[in-house]
Amino acid sequence: MGRLYSLNTCTLVGAQAVPVTVEVDVGQGLPGFFIVGMPDTAVQEARYRVRCALRSCGYRIPEAHMVVNLAPGLLRKTGTGFDLPIAVALLCATGQMDPAWVFQALFVGELALDGAVRTVHGLLACAMLARERGLQLVSAPAAELDRDLGVPCHALESVVRLRQGEPWSTHPSCAVARASACADFSDIVDMDIPKRAAQIAAAGRLGILLKGPPGSGKTMLARRIPGILPPLEEDEMVQTALIHSVAGNDVSNIFAGVPPFRSPHHSASLAGLIGGGSPLRPGEVSLAHNGILFLDEMNEFSPHVLQALRQPMEDKEVILVRADGRVRFSADFMLVAAANPCPCGYLGDKQHDCSCTDQQIARYASRIGGPLMDRIDLVVEVRRSSPDSVMETGNGLSSSEMQQEVLMARERASGRRRKSVARGRVTANAGAALVQSCGLDGKVKRIFSELARNNHLSGRGIMSSLRVARAIADLDDVDSVGEKQILEAMLYRVREVGL
Amino acid sequence: MTAGVFDANLPHFALRRGDTGYPPLLESIGKPPDTLYGIGNADVLSMPALAVVGARRATPYGLDCARVFASHAAIDGLVVVSGGALGCDQAAAEAALDAGGRTVAVLGGGADVVYPMGAAPLLQRIVKQGGTIVSEREWGSAPLRPYFVERNRIIAGLCAATLIVEAGLPSGTFSTADAALDTGRDLLVVPGNIHSPQSRGSNRLLFQGAQPVIDLSSFDEVVEQIYGILVLQSEEYDPLGPLPVDPMGRASDRAKLLEALAACPLHLDDLARKTGLPRDKFTVLVSECEAFGLLERGRDGRYHVRLH
Repeated sequence: MGRLYSLNTCTLVGAQAVPVTVEVDVGQGLPGFFIVGMPDTAVQEARYRVRCALRSCGYRIPEAHMVVNLAPGLLRKTGTGFDLPIAVALLCATGQMDPAWVFQALFVGELALDGAVRTVHGLLACAMLARERGLQLVSAPAAELDRDLGVPCHALESVVRLRQGEPWSTHPSCAVARASACADFSDIVDMDIPKRAAQIAAAGRLGILLKGPPGSGKTMLARRIPGILPPLEEDEMVQTALIHSVAGNDVSNIFAGVPPFRSPHHSASLAGLIGGGSPLRPGEVSLAHNGILFLDEMNEFSPHVLQALRQPMEDKEVILVRADGRVRFSADFMLVAAANPCPCGYLGDKQHDCSCTDQQIARYASRIGGPLMDRIDLVVEVRRSSPDSVMETGNGLSSSEMQQEVLMARERASGRRRKSVARGRVTANAGAALVQSCGLDGKVKRIFSELARNNHLSGRGIMSSLRVARAIADLDDVDSVGEKQILEAMLYRVREVGL
Repeated sequence: MTAGVFDANLPHFALRRGDTGYPPLLESIGKPPDTLYGIGNADVLSMPALAVVGARRATPYGLDCARVFASHAAIDGLVVVSGGALGCDQAAAEAALDAGGRTVAVLGGGADVVYPMGAAPLLQRIVKQGGTIVSEREWGSAPLRPYFVERNRIIAGLCAATLIVEAGLPSGTFSTADAALDTGRDLLVVPGNIHSPQSRGSNRLLFQGAQPVIDLSSFDEVVEQIYGILVLQSEEYDPLGPLPVDPMGRASDRAKLLEALAACPLHLDDLARKTGLPRDKFTVLVSECEAFGLLERGRDGRYHVRLH
């Protein structure tokens, strides 16, 4: 007796796994099972789960004074992932298991009362930590680990297997991930202009607002935008999957390269949107990282909540500050919003009459984007197609064709950035960089200035229009922004309040 | 008493039935107002007048018709009478004033109560340019809903003819039309696009026998007949004026676009479908026309030809 046993595990802090050492001491004294090291309630309950699980599998629990220490002591321990490491440490300390390979492994898992091992959130993060420390991961079988992560991930189905020679199997690293079918743009008839606007937004990663009456198809359009975004790159996949894994979401689509599409309801709380809770969980803005955040019925969101979205959009991350430290969650997303044109929703609808007064309409128009209006670069009207044309389908570009064009546009944009870096022409000022990248010649500059003046564009509006024009130019495969691109960009501009 | 916006220096008057200044045409309606309170020049009420009224939620077409015919009436020497309401009424009054004519506004509330909000500059202009603002309600009366139907009979009653430029179905303008017909006055109506909901009322009145006014020469003819004044032949109105220079050589495409919008305002998608132009050409063309001021985007997101 009196054996001290320690092995590796981890706990989640934000979207990262932080290493924790489990030490078990079985010694003399009044019989009891104690867990120390700032465990939260779920961790404390491990005592019961571990005891029952081991007993059900026929292991012996000694009548001794057992102390489990989760080090470092000041780090708050949360979650049910400690069940498995505690059980394994206990078995090693009581000589019921061969401790030979325990040293090279990181154990994470919850135990069922019959000894089965259950998955916990954030296994991907645990795998990343294991890789960092040159360890192997042992956990319940989990679909998200079924791929080549650069670290051996072992699946343990039940603690009863720990008696055997080869207690666990290895997760297959078959990297073939199949994405569930994303809705296709070719399903939508007509709507050529909104489709084009969506494509421009995708090419330039710009903010877009879809305006139209209820049932006009705004949500339908929005849901198809992930299908024309470039597929996630390797590192983006991992970054994004980590966040989703921590939130307990299925990551198979992410590993198939499909950017996430998050559509929070307008009654969502601030914590739900930005992140929070205890333990700290990522919010919708982080779950939309490398994907799209869709604010449907933007006007119904409280201005307070919309205001809170500005900082993550600016910094491309969310920093949550708590008493015991700060946690960073990435939040780099593309904004897509949908709104009605007026309070009753039917302004400009062919079938329904609008019942709003002029004052109501003007007031609504000024509130539509609220604090987020300056994040919107394109506004496009969406109207339902006429009944007869709805029956026709399949004309117009498909999502994969549109995606190809977006990919090529993005390639040109990165090529251009590389070239300017190579030539040493890099300006810290984002505005100046944008103007430079447009390469406007004298004539186009003059035309643009006049258009800007006549349309009373603010400074921000000018930058926005240039961004749109630059994205159009990339789609059109031209080096510099010309008159054609400027004119088209003006069509989608954010118009003055009430117009 | 609600605050009036007019200074006490402007002439206020109150005409009772039987007074010398009481407009004779008003005597012959079913229920002439006992007293007509007014600010401005009372003589105008007895001069030959044409009522120009229409929908409050007017389309650009309706507003343009109001402007064109009201200014013509003013040029022909007629007083233009309307209700001062948003939309066609105000457009008619402004246009008549711009053409140097005199106008009368018949209000629902007291003559010194500005309604709707924002109409104060127009009302002041009416008085300053030799016209008048009248009401059968007491000074300071609030503009309540039932009063508006009642005042429409006064608008029609002051004039030998009433011109309706645009009306949907149902429309407040119908009470003015009925009042005109009941007192044996002429009812003139401008036809509208049969697909446009905002013209359904006017077209129905035509179907029921109102006199159509289809262009300036028919307007002139009707004015001659009703008022007995000789009207000089006016040039036919061309809403577009001369088209500006065509730097990109796209005259025919541009014409296609403007033609497609001739019937009624359209959303971009509908317009694209109607013109049949390929999308990339289309977007540039629309933007260009908007930049040149040929097209305008309305509040409901539909584009219309910009009329002067």
